[in-house]
Amino acid sequence: MADSKINQPVVGRRAFVGGTLAASSLAFLAACSNNNASNAGSSTGGDSAPAAGNTLNYYINNPVCIDPYNAQEDQGIQVVFQLFDTLTEYDFEKGEIVGLAAESFESNDDATQFTFHLKEATFHNGEAVTSQSFKRAWERIVNPSSAVASIYGPSEISYHLSVVKGYQELLDGSATELTGVTCPDDQTLVVDLNNPYADFAYVVSHPALSPVPEAADTDAENYYLAPIGNGPFKMDGKWEDGQEINVVRYDDYYGTTAKLDGVHFSIQRDQETAYREFQAGNLDVCDVPVAQIDAAKSDRGVSEDGYTMSDGQHMLLGSEPSTYYLTCNNTAEPFNNADFRRAISMAINREAICDSIFSGTRTPADGIVPPGIDGYQEGMWPYCKYDQAAAIELLDQLYPADGDGKRGITLQLSYNLDGGHQAIMESVISDLEAVGITCTSDTQEWAAILTEYQDLNYQFGRLGWIADYPIYDNFLYPLFHSDSLGGDNRSGYSNPEVDELINQARATVDTDQRIDLMHQADAIIGEDNPVIPLNFYTHQIAGSDRIAHLYIDPLKKADLSEAELA
Amino acid sequence: MGKYILKRVLQFIPVFFGVTLILFLLQNVVPGDPIKMIAGDKVLDPAVELQMRVSYDLVQVDENGDPILDENGDPVPVPLPERYVNYIVDLFHGDLGRSYQRKLPVTDIFADKFPYTARLAVCAIILEAIMGIGAGIISAIKRYSFWDILVTLVTSIMVSLPAFWLGMLLQLFFGVYLHVLPLSGAGGGVASAYPEWMYYILPAFTLASVSMAYSARIMRSQLLDVMNQDYIRTARAKGLSNRSVIVHHALKNALIPVVTYIGVDFGSMLSGAILTETVFNWPGIGYEIYRAITQRDWPIVMGGVTIIIVVVMVINLLVDISYGFLDPRIRFGAPKDKS
Repeated sequence: MADSKINQPVVGRRAFVGGTLAASSLAFLAACSNNNASNAGSSTGGDSAPAAGNTLNYYINNPVCIDPYNAQEDQGIQVVFQLFDTLTEYDFEKGEIVGLAAESFESNDDATQFTFHLKEATFHNGEAVTSQSFKRAWERIVNPSSAVASIYGPSEISYHLSVVKGYQELLDGSATELTGVTCPDDQTLVVDLNNPYADFAYVVSHPALSPVPEAADTDAENYYLAPIGNGPFKMDGKWEDGQEINVVRYDDYYGTTAKLDGVHFSIQRDQETAYREFQAGNLDVCDVPVAQIDAAKSDRGVSEDGYTMSDGQHMLLGSEPSTYYLTCNNTAEPFNNADFRRAISMAINREAICDSIFSGTRTPADGIVPPGIDGYQEGMWPYCKYDQAAAIELLDQLYPADGDGKRGITLQLSYNLDGGHQAIMESVISDLEAVGITCTSDTQEWAAILTEYQDLNYQFGRLGWIADYPIYDNFLYPLFHSDSLGGDNRSGYSNPEVDELINQARATVDTDQRIDLMHQADAIIGEDNPVIPLNFYTHQIAGSDRIAHLYIDPLKKADLSEAELA
Repeated sequence: MGKYILKRVLQFIPVFFGVTLILFLLQNVVPGDPIKMIAGDKVLDPAVELQMRVSYDLVQVDENGDPILDENGDPVPVPLPERYVNYIVDLFHGDLGRSYQRKLPVTDIFADKFPYTARLAVCAIILEAIMGIGAGIISAIKRYSFWDILVTLVTSIMVSLPAFWLGMLLQLFFGVYLHVLPLSGAGGGVASAYPEWMYYILPAFTLASVSMAYSARIMRSQLLDVMNQDYIRTARAKGLSNRSVIVHHALKNALIPVVTYIGVDFGSMLSGAILTETVFNWPGIGYEIYRAITQRDWPIVMGGVTIIIVVVMVINLLVDISYGFLDPRIRFGAPKDKS
């Protein structure tokens, strides 16, 4: 999943507004919005709300793609979720993976073969959903000469299927089908993997791996803008770029049909503008800009569980399985020294960053794996806490301070200015200053920074990791396994012991045993402290008074088929 | 006049090639690999990345469409001159390529968005012309009166207000507080609660605000300047009415700098107003080009600039032609007054 929410340039403009306006004008703005916040309560659901009736108005930012073919960022995925049902879904309440389009599923003993038994269902055009529909969808993603690839270019998210047998052959053109996926009959899908991967049932819960009908190949160009799926809602018209996407209830849905008539996704590129639309009563669900969090909390009422909106509780602040962290170059001085990384980690006051910059909505990180991930344990990384005295003690051994308290070491922190990172980075820099380390900023545009990270041509910088699937493996393997070097492992960390434990875990079918192995690996990584986790993301979503019930899970998937309006 | 227009059109050719060539070269100087950027924080599978480059014609391919590799197994990039020629050839076939980030053909994206930018620009320029010129004339004629002071005051405020901030205030007041105008978007969707034309009011006013103030001030000072000229005194001496003097003699001459300013402004509005389009969530080209620049989405940047060049050249040409109507000396090619 691309780091879209971190990179939205419009957020940067917000910071600019805050920095340049006189205090008086801010006060005026605040007065206006407060006025209105009390207004919104009475006006939402009133005559001013467009598309009245039983249609929900839902904010999304400009999506990259709403066809599963390239579904990757949380905005486009929100639409894909409503149009498509994948084989499985993770039930956060029960804490287990359950079938969705699949009635049941099982794996063989060494987790190299998965069998899914499908429910009887139809696509929105009446075509039956069969095992072939899944095979078609997956081959379409991997095959560089599929109909859709020849129009819109290769898919960026084929990596989801990289464990499937025949992936490499189809990708490089030496095969014409994904040989690892077979369809013994219409209701049975068998997937053979290259390596054991017990978490594969979680992988197929990603919306990119939804089934597609024949039209996806025969009419690829239009399908991309108006996908036909098997989910509770179907497209009404096509994706109007920069404006709107409308979906309506699919009455022949195999599950419980939706209570809403439809959902109007209003595409807003500026979060501030979107929030004003929300205040005016034109949106029912909207992300809240950080500056408005406190007002929204008291006005909307904070949801008890953080994920469910109900009467008087329309503000969601539940944690998301995503981590914001400082990435360190483990291959070069001075960050190749574990003690140094530990000291830096302990010198940073995470609590203060969360409170002052995020109004307490984000939570301080205590490891790389956030809450909401199966197997999350509090305080997993011993050095991921604020302990200035311990930091100074470690630093005294490495770089003794001179008379002025300076340690004669200068670090360079590389980050991009857009996306609102500056305040966090400045807080980090002043924390390091406090323990005698001078730190300069290397601020460039994201494109340039990304190249520096990729080439390990940096000291330390910042990244966000948003889980594709809510599993331990989705953090440890891409970020710390040696196989991911040159890929998402941008710290250059490599530890054979960790690799071995992760490999073992991947081959372990029993969930408890698997998580136990992951814990062992995570403990070693935490001790080595290759990166410095800062905070965990949380929802910042507000709902209007029209909403009687709406559940938005930690992955931001809104359960709109169950949603009800008052 | 015909010869003059032809000359201007011919001038367009070197400018066009110059600008596109410079932009093309810049792509190679600016840091950051646009293809690597496509995946955001994540990393593309090397095989997928290579296919991506093939699909955007960035690497050389053999007759089967497979990439040609050098002795190190690395793909061979298409040389820049060749890419530039390809771009120009495609351009004349109406093909501007495909967006790196958005995947859609650039021509589709602009065909979709340019009408919105153009309609907004036309509304804004009409507002600017009527209100700016009107206010300028009033404050010049009624010099030092209450109206003059009011216009001076209001224009000073408008010039110093950042457009996007004014936009936010207007949104809060008319959209959130009073509920009389739509806040954002261009209307026309199933969810629009207001008639489509109402969606133009706030963004057009915001877009026009700064220039409106400038054109009022230019108009005022020009008109005052002209009113002191000898030929105005002559006209008055002939016994013409005040109205006739201003409309037929002073105004026409005073308009030239204002028309120049408004014309240039119109060109820049048609190139997309990034801040206004962002604040009002306007589906125009300004935001698209801005996004493309930050994400190194070169096909969009190139396509956008190509469109802007054409638009600006055409507008400038129209402005030049309009001078002829305002000033007969230009129309008839008479030597300029040296005084």
